[in-house]
Amino acid sequence: MPETLPAGVTDAVPANLRRRSRGTFASRGGAWVVGLSVLVSLLALLPIAYVIGVSLQTGWATVVTLVFRPRVGELLVNTVLLVIITVPLCIALGVTLAWLTERTNLPGRRWWSLLATAPLAVPAFVHSYAWVSLVPPIHGLFAGVLVSVIAYFPFLYLPVAATLRRLDPAIEDVAESLGLKPRAVFFRVVLPQLRLAICGGALLVGLHLLAEYGLYAMIRFDTFTTAIFDQFKSTFNGPAAHMLASVLALCCLAMLTVESAARGNARYARVGSGSAREQRIVCLRAPATALALALQLMTCALALGVPLLTLCNWLIAGGLPVWDMAELLPALEQTLLFGVAGAALTTCAAIPIAWLSIRYPGRMQRALESCNYITSSLPGIVVALALVTVTIHFARPIYQTTITVLLAYLLMFLPRALVSLRAGIAQAPVELENIARSLGRSPARALWLITLRLAAPGAAAGAALVFLAITNELTATLLLAPNGTRTLATGFWAMTSEIDYAAAAPYALLMIVLSLPLTGLLYHQSKKTAGR
Amino acid sequence: MNTLELHALNKTYGTHRALDNVSLSVPSGSRTVIVGPSGSGKTTLLRMIAGFEFPDTGRLSLNGQTLVDSTHEVPAHQRLIGYVPQDGALFPHMTVAANIGFGLATKGNEKQQRVAELMDSVALDSNMAERWPHELSGGQQQRVALARALAQQPRLMLLDEPFSALDTGLRAAMRKMVAKLLADAGVTTILVTHDQSEALSFADQLAVMRQGRLVQSGHPLDLYRYPEDEQTALFLGDAVVMPARIEAGWAHCDLGRIPVNNHRNNSTAQIMLRPEQLQLVSLLPSDAEMSGCRAVVTERDFSGNTCTLTVELQPLANGDQRGRSLLVRSSGMYAPPAGSAVHVSTIGHAHVLSEP
Amino acid sequence: MISRIPPFLKTALLATALVSAGHVCAADDVGLVVYNAQHESLTKAWVEGFTQETGIPVTLRNGDDTEMGNQIVQEGASSPADVFLTENSPAMVLVDNAGLFAPIDKATLEQVDNAYRPAHGKWLGIAARSTVFVYNPSKLPEAELPKSIMDLAAPSWKGRWGASPGGADFQAIVAAMLEQKGEAATLEWLKAMKTNFTAYRGNSSVLKAVNAGQIDSGVIYHYYSFVDQAKTGENSKNTRLYYFKHKDPGAFVSISGGGVLASSKHKEQAQAFLKWITGKDGQAILKDGKSFEYAVGKNAQSNPALTPLQQLDAPTVDASKLDSKKAVELMTQAGLL
Repeated sequence: MPETLPAGVTDAVPANLRRRSRGTFASRGGAWVVGLSVLVSLLALLPIAYVIGVSLQTGWATVVTLVFRPRVGELLVNTVLLVIITVPLCIALGVTLAWLTERTNLPGRRWWSLLATAPLAVPAFVHSYAWVSLVPPIHGLFAGVLVSVIAYFPFLYLPVAATLRRLDPAIEDVAESLGLKPRAVFFRVVLPQLRLAICGGALLVGLHLLAEYGLYAMIRFDTFTTAIFDQFKSTFNGPAAHMLASVLALCCLAMLTVESAARGNARYARVGSGSAREQRIVCLRAPATALALALQLMTCALALGVPLLTLCNWLIAGGLPVWDMAELLPALEQTLLFGVAGAALTTCAAIPIAWLSIRYPGRMQRALESCNYITSSLPGIVVALALVTVTIHFARPIYQTTITVLLAYLLMFLPRALVSLRAGIAQAPVELENIARSLGRSPARALWLITLRLAAPGAAAGAALVFLAITNELTATLLLAPNGTRTLATGFWAMTSEIDYAAAAPYALLMIVLSLPLTGLLYHQSKKTAGR
Repeated sequence: MNTLELHALNKTYGTHRALDNVSLSVPSGSRTVIVGPSGSGKTTLLRMIAGFEFPDTGRLSLNGQTLVDSTHEVPAHQRLIGYVPQDGALFPHMTVAANIGFGLATKGNEKQQRVAELMDSVALDSNMAERWPHELSGGQQQRVALARALAQQPRLMLLDEPFSALDTGLRAAMRKMVAKLLADAGVTTILVTHDQSEALSFADQLAVMRQGRLVQSGHPLDLYRYPEDEQTALFLGDAVVMPARIEAGWAHCDLGRIPVNNHRNNSTAQIMLRPEQLQLVSLLPSDAEMSGCRAVVTERDFSGNTCTLTVELQPLANGDQRGRSLLVRSSGMYAPPAGSAVHVSTIGHAHVLSEP
Repeated sequence: MISRIPPFLKTALLATALVSAGHVCAADDVGLVVYNAQHESLTKAWVEGFTQETGIPVTLRNGDDTEMGNQIVQEGASSPADVFLTENSPAMVLVDNAGLFAPIDKATLEQVDNAYRPAHGKWLGIAARSTVFVYNPSKLPEAELPKSIMDLAAPSWKGRWGASPGGADFQAIVAAMLEQKGEAATLEWLKAMKTNFTAYRGNSSVLKAVNAGQIDSGVIYHYYSFVDQAKTGENSKNTRLYYFKHKDPGAFVSISGGGVLASSKHKEQAQAFLKWITGKDGQAILKDGKSFEYAVGKNAQSNPALTPLQQLDAPTVDASKLDSKKAVELMTQAGLL
């Protein structure tokens, strides 16, 4: 049987018969991947270690005096009230809007859907800047709740809408056939299926509420983060700031636990290639349609109309002089620099962990991931404080440099890159790589030609999300930015601190313009995936 | 000359023994099928040959060249072994032409020509070249995967359940086409499947695996006629298995006295007959005593060209004990009706199964 | 279709990576590094004038008094700062107590009045501001104006005055009160303040709120009103200023300080910078500019719009004794921070 062997292959033992490396994934160069993942996760533990370390260092007596005092009680009450009022309101608004745009025949559904996502392009502190300009006396809990709901409801709207889109209508059909009325079908069949999306979105809103500084500072509502900031300004690195940070960190962890319990055993749905089934649409009668449209319009007006109008007002009032290019352009450049560099660094750091979670899932990998997850729930100010303390005492060369800022961004935003990256790598199963190897490509070439190419869109999406987060980031940048640097966010903040609202307007406008394309990306992405 | 030699391969995952001392020789140019139930280790074995897994102990050599032994290994990308997995696994970000051409070292016109040739050989229309994998049907995807693997003119082709994802009607046609294609190319092929009819029809050499062990290997007909044990027998097709007493080339069982291929004396064993070895004849009262035994048709399952009859044998000993029930196949049109008395006779030898 | 990373994006990423690397690695030798807690506009004017005259480039790091003071203390000997400028003195005392200042040239010290610099010569005043009581005449008639800042602790003042406790300005006022009245009285006053006052962020917000009638009155520094008047006046047109005088803690004049860090690698240039600020040209910026802070140079005149310092009857407070740490501690105890 004549079998022509291709040139170069003989029957003799070839010279490329290499020495066997016995054993597991780890010994086959996977050690690098594991090592990098561990490194990143250890970094992520820094803020937690700092919080614990400083508490231990301060001494129990001081801790008691600093933590158990009326002021902290005040802050705790404020924070708790804020959370327990805002989150349910966000849920109600998010679910209602999602249901209206996904499951009814409301006219202009696609536009309402887009408009419900758009408020994400406006940074939270710009929302409160707009409201304070519009209604100067506005302050306190009411203002806090109002602006928070407006700024954060899209975090609930997006996953709920995405899940509604992918629900199997057969389940609802069966429920109806078993005698449930339409309203009962919604509450007993549809809503429970939204549990995951609602939990995830509510957690996100809650964590933002705890971490946000600019929004509450402007409307004079004291929360832990504003108090930590005040302490920081007064004592730089004093124990009181650390103690407040510890309490705040505990609140975040508590929130994580609550969400985990609420989620129960349910698993997040895998991104599947399910066929798009015909969803049942509810036809709204005229009065209901009018109500629905009114709700949509009102939300739109409050969430988009107010900030945009106020901005326009200020820009017109300020005229050309407020466009101080000598200040604006460097700030823009700096923001872009931080954004791109931060996004690249964070995405690269996420690669080993995402790799492990798809290719070699297991207990260790899950533990590594939770380290990152926990740290990213901490507010930016705690992370920044931790880094300031650590770099001053142990890593002086990088103190007050761009590296520290980027590191803070990495710790804060890693999970955003991780989620998208995971989805991307999942698009490139190991089987494809194996086939490429069987077709003569070396393992490295196979990785490059197949896996990385397929994972690239996921990586890009993750990087885009991190970029969006960085352009709007205020607190950590305020604390960590090197001498003489100013981003759009910190520039905006400096202007508003001087009550120079007109001068702040160009900064706000630029931030919104930068955020718009990425918000569009988020919207587009949510249309493709179901609640993760 | 044997193309592929597997010698005492062992692989353990934690506490689970995936491969247990597997040895096999694959002759050059032949089609070997490794068959077995899920979890029997056949896919692990295939991946080991391809180079995606490595054995704990044992030796693997191709055309006299050692691919794996206790001290050395050749990495997958240097083995020149084609691999076609279950669902084709086409690269989703490349067109059909790019997929097929992936393994080719040439460029430009030469490459295009070769790709066209390959597409032709797997009966793919040339206008499919610029299509994307998700635009193709299952059968088309499988053919592209085949062409892709053949492009590099491999020394060995490995097919991992390639037809199981296809519709039943398509399966047989694809099987025939692939068999012809590989025979024309003269490539040694190893196919893994859990489908016994596919295994029996495709193979020159059949190997049965169970729980990591290679239970039996040889010509399909030999395995079919003379399986090692009951499980293998049942796996390769329907079988009638019953206890019998062997004596000097004859088995005494419920069917009476049947010749066997084993000359043990005075021992009890299980014997096996294939359904096609049983013949039914309607019994006329006037029929004289014939060899074989009497039975009554208790159930009749008509399915077109065949009729599956359940017959209850006349009990050997007198008593209340009911006789053994057997399934017998008969032609659809001439099957005796239910309740009728029939005479069951056997053709050929019964096979004595080894002790489990 | 699975798209590839567009080539232009790849080059953009690469370019940014290189630029960032450059930024990070570049040795930051941009002349003087000034940790500036003064208002940016004022310091910028100083820097511009100084650089124009001497050609020495200056980099500013902007922040708040106590934040930067504490930061310098934490950074210690390896702080990148050459010069520290503040709005109030407590932060200077903080850094001085950590022994981080270098003695200032005698010639520079001579340029400033004794009253506006401590005797040890480790730092000196560069400008000054007066505590003031701003009120809305339509909400608070003149007859009800408080005689002393300590009166604001009385129950009748509940909900009628505002301040910005998070800022170093107010903390300086508290430090002065602490120095003048002692710990017990100050703590008592702070506790009453917690009950009576409304908190704002920044003196400008207090001014704006008083102007809008949201609160009757507030305790801020004088120049905020003047700065606003010089612009559009929209945040202060309904307000009036009232000086406590009579050496009351509420008449406290806070000194903005400047000092040279002992760890500075550009001591000569740092000293020159301070000399320029406190010299004729620097102090003239206070007179002619829009900062409306008081000039402290010998024979230097302040902006004519301001009430002259001599008329303010400020209490004599030894600026080098102001303890901001204690002040913040007391404020934390009272629940203000």
